[in-house]
Amino acid sequence: MSAPVPAVPSAAAAAAPVPAAPVLSVQDLKAYYRTRYFGVTRDVRAVDGVSFEVRAGEIYGLAGESSSGKTTLIKAIAGAIRPPLEVVGGTMTFSFLPGSPGLHRASPAEVAGIRWRHLSYIMQGSMNVLNPVRRVKHSFDDFAFRHMGLARSAFWAEVEAHLARVDLDPSVLAAYPHELSGGMRQRVTIALATLCRPEFVIADEPTTALDVLVQKTVLGMIRSVQREIGSSLLFVTHDMGVHAALTDRLAIMYAGRLAEEGRTAEIFARPRHPYTRHLVGSLPRIGDASERKSLDGTPPNLADPPPGCRFHPRCPLAMDVCRREQPAMIADGPDHRVACFAVHPQSEGHP
Amino acid sequence: MSGALIELVNVRKSFTRGGLLSHRRVQAVDDVSFRIAADDPVIFTIIGESGSGKSTLARMILNITPPTSGSIVFRGRDLSTIRGGADRTAFMAAVQPIFQNPFEAFNPLKRLDHYLHVTARRFTGAKGQAVEQRTDEVLRQVGLSLAEVRGRFPHELSGGQLQRVAIARALVSRPALIVADEPVSMVDASLRMAIVNLFRGLRDDLGISIVYITHDLATAYYISDELMIMQKGKVVEAGAARPILSDPQHPYSRQLKDAVLSPALAGARDGANGGSDARPFHAS
Amino acid sequence: MLAILRDLLRYNAEFRIGLLLVGIVVVLAALSFASPYPPLDVYVVPPDLPPSWAYPFGTTSRGQDVFWQLTVAIRNTLAFGIAVALLSRVLSLAIGLFSGYKGGWIDRVLMSINDTFIVLPLFPILVLFYFVMRDRMTWAMLALIMACLGWAYDARLIRSVAMSLKTREFTQTSIFSGMTTREILMREHLPYVMPIVFSTTMNNMNWSIGLEVTLSVLGFTDINTPTIGGMIFWANQHTAMVAGVWWWFAFPVAVVVMAFVGLFLLAVSMNEYIDPRSRLRRMGGAAG
Repeated sequence: MSAPVPAVPSAAAAAAPVPAAPVLSVQDLKAYYRTRYFGVTRDVRAVDGVSFEVRAGEIYGLAGESSSGKTTLIKAIAGAIRPPLEVVGGTMTFSFLPGSPGLHRASPAEVAGIRWRHLSYIMQGSMNVLNPVRRVKHSFDDFAFRHMGLARSAFWAEVEAHLARVDLDPSVLAAYPHELSGGMRQRVTIALATLCRPEFVIADEPTTALDVLVQKTVLGMIRSVQREIGSSLLFVTHDMGVHAALTDRLAIMYAGRLAEEGRTAEIFARPRHPYTRHLVGSLPRIGDASERKSLDGTPPNLADPPPGCRFHPRCPLAMDVCRREQPAMIADGPDHRVACFAVHPQSEGHP
Repeated sequence: MSGALIELVNVRKSFTRGGLLSHRRVQAVDDVSFRIAADDPVIFTIIGESGSGKSTLARMILNITPPTSGSIVFRGRDLSTIRGGADRTAFMAAVQPIFQNPFEAFNPLKRLDHYLHVTARRFTGAKGQAVEQRTDEVLRQVGLSLAEVRGRFPHELSGGQLQRVAIARALVSRPALIVADEPVSMVDASLRMAIVNLFRGLRDDLGISIVYITHDLATAYYISDELMIMQKGKVVEAGAARPILSDPQHPYSRQLKDAVLSPALAGARDGANGGSDARPFHAS
Repeated sequence: MLAILRDLLRYNAEFRIGLLLVGIVVVLAALSFASPYPPLDVYVVPPDLPPSWAYPFGTTSRGQDVFWQLTVAIRNTLAFGIAVALLSRVLSLAIGLFSGYKGGWIDRVLMSINDTFIVLPLFPILVLFYFVMRDRMTWAMLALIMACLGWAYDARLIRSVAMSLKTREFTQTSIFSGMTTREILMREHLPYVMPIVFSTTMNNMNWSIGLEVTLSVLGFTDINTPTIGGMIFWANQHTAMVAGVWWWFAFPVAVVVMAFVGLFLLAVSMNEYIDPRSRLRRMGGAAG
């Protein structure tokens, strides 16, 4: 596999300062899709008890496949909750909105004050953000001007300086979105999202639709801008390669719950959860022609998930207790948590 | 030329864009030639990004759209001479597609076995019980059972299962060539390798040649025998797969290989914030 | 099927109201077979009597019971509307699906014909037909002519759906499964087109009934067969407005409006059910 990782000395762990209040703290979040349609009631448990924290200035990755619930988690954090989606329990507290259980409970005025200034997004389709019938500069004007509190000329100077950070010429402002390439549009989206120097940026599969070469450039820019303005980045993608190259810490999500979370290097070097082990080990690499296997079974139906640990039907290590009870996330080494009975044998009931 | 399953000679395809006043010629495929031998099943991979012309090339091989110039000869027969029902049926029996999006491959309002049955009836002339038998056979070949699929609608299965059903359907007529256009890019990572391994099995056990179109160099390395890299409609590098991917010559190929984000990168960076961040994204 | 109707009844107010209104109209039409008076006979009851217990809707100046006339009239009008709608649906579907799927010069030719039919001024042409054919203009003839005039607009709608379906991957799968064009159109594409067909059928019925009423009011149809428009025609002939015999046209108008509104509500509410996208959502495509 990969080159042996030098053992992480405890000095490094001690040197990393214990951070102040995290930028985002999610506690036991539950968000379901509740539909009552023509007499049929179903609860799709897309997010079913998720807890994690995002620290200041870090890139926190969230990995998961389709039907893992990660899209719903993002929607909940961003406050984009509309029926049939409902937040059924738990809280999502931002450092810039203390005491609030989440954006879904904030008043429209609060939300308007927060979006783009403290919390912004980089979406998968840049066309979701940029209005196709207006020139690019209008998007900057509509979204960001109000938050910056600058005079017009100062504002545009700042915009141009910021565009230069993502290697874009100011002439981009005068163009319509369709006149730019996919990569350029995505860079505009990055500039828009980071212009006001928000504390927290959510990136939802921002490079999935881009070509491999462009993806590399865009990811590099995301990282350099993030490092420069010091915001936290919640980066969601199913692509493990991107996580390996970009993120500081990584959480693996499966069927609405977290399976494992830890520093990225550690997750790839010593994955504990069987699902993580599979994700890390199953994809082929150039130069290595050895046999790769896929997992048996299919991702579970979130409307009718399996009892106990959601992964047990596909898990090579499944035991009796896995069929009955859900494992809790337990610390396993510094800055590392796993939810698996095979790793932590003591039977933990779901709190 | 005898012995060739399919041979492309100087194939070109251009489109005109624009309306009455503006007129642009877009060269989607520009002078592509290659050959797949008849007696030796291979997995022939075409690598390219968007705009490389790979999907247009796939459509020409499947005879969905004709080339603007050049010839495509399948088992000694030029595709442009295929007209009329019987000829087209014979061709389609021998060349079958797999598409990128497993969720779109089937009509969401129809049950899946409907397609398997129709294909069996049309291409093998089977009736009644024989249709069921053939359906069962191909499903088992892809690792599914009739019980899992019978009576199901597409939304009831995962992407990986749907793609396997699509492959099963393609196998019904016992084709000689399967053209797979990005078959795993929309399939979850945990299910992807089953499909990729399946393609290897099709080549080894059933003797089917596969034209495998992808942008993912890693899976290309894993299963390809021969490889062709396309950029903006032209072939920039071609030959045996593993040597090319291990040591690409053309600058574009090198760029592609360099841009591959492998999980090994995690080990190359230190976990803490101040690690050697620059490495993965440095242009080299 | 029954479960579906039950659910629609329970949850969809529009469906309930629509069903009620159409139900009333259909019951009225069915009652026509129990009419004690032959519909074409005149002066069978005392004329010009206002609504009473003996004659719930009153009587006309021609000595007919308005209620029983109405039942026959609405039956004929409905039958006419259904006939025209069905005939023109067949034309719209055939031309729209075929044109959309084939594309190329077939599409261009068919759509040119289509557009010609769209711009034809219907009313003058129908009047023209009447004057040319006079007494030979039977209801069947009129239905046929109107069907031939009424398919064009909807054919275009269906064609645009067919065109988008052609680009979807499952169409390719169907082709490579060996299905013929006819099979693809009828088995794969038709379900997607049905919501349009259904709502346009209701529209078409409303249109044809409206046109029939208009023509009949003006006397351009076979006035001897009782229809809603016919009743209004005779009411005008006998200057019922001025004479104060309001029940003669009030009730026909009320019933035909009920039919319109009922059909419209049914179309709208069932549409949501038949639409493939909402059907998929209901069958339970996974969320996020």
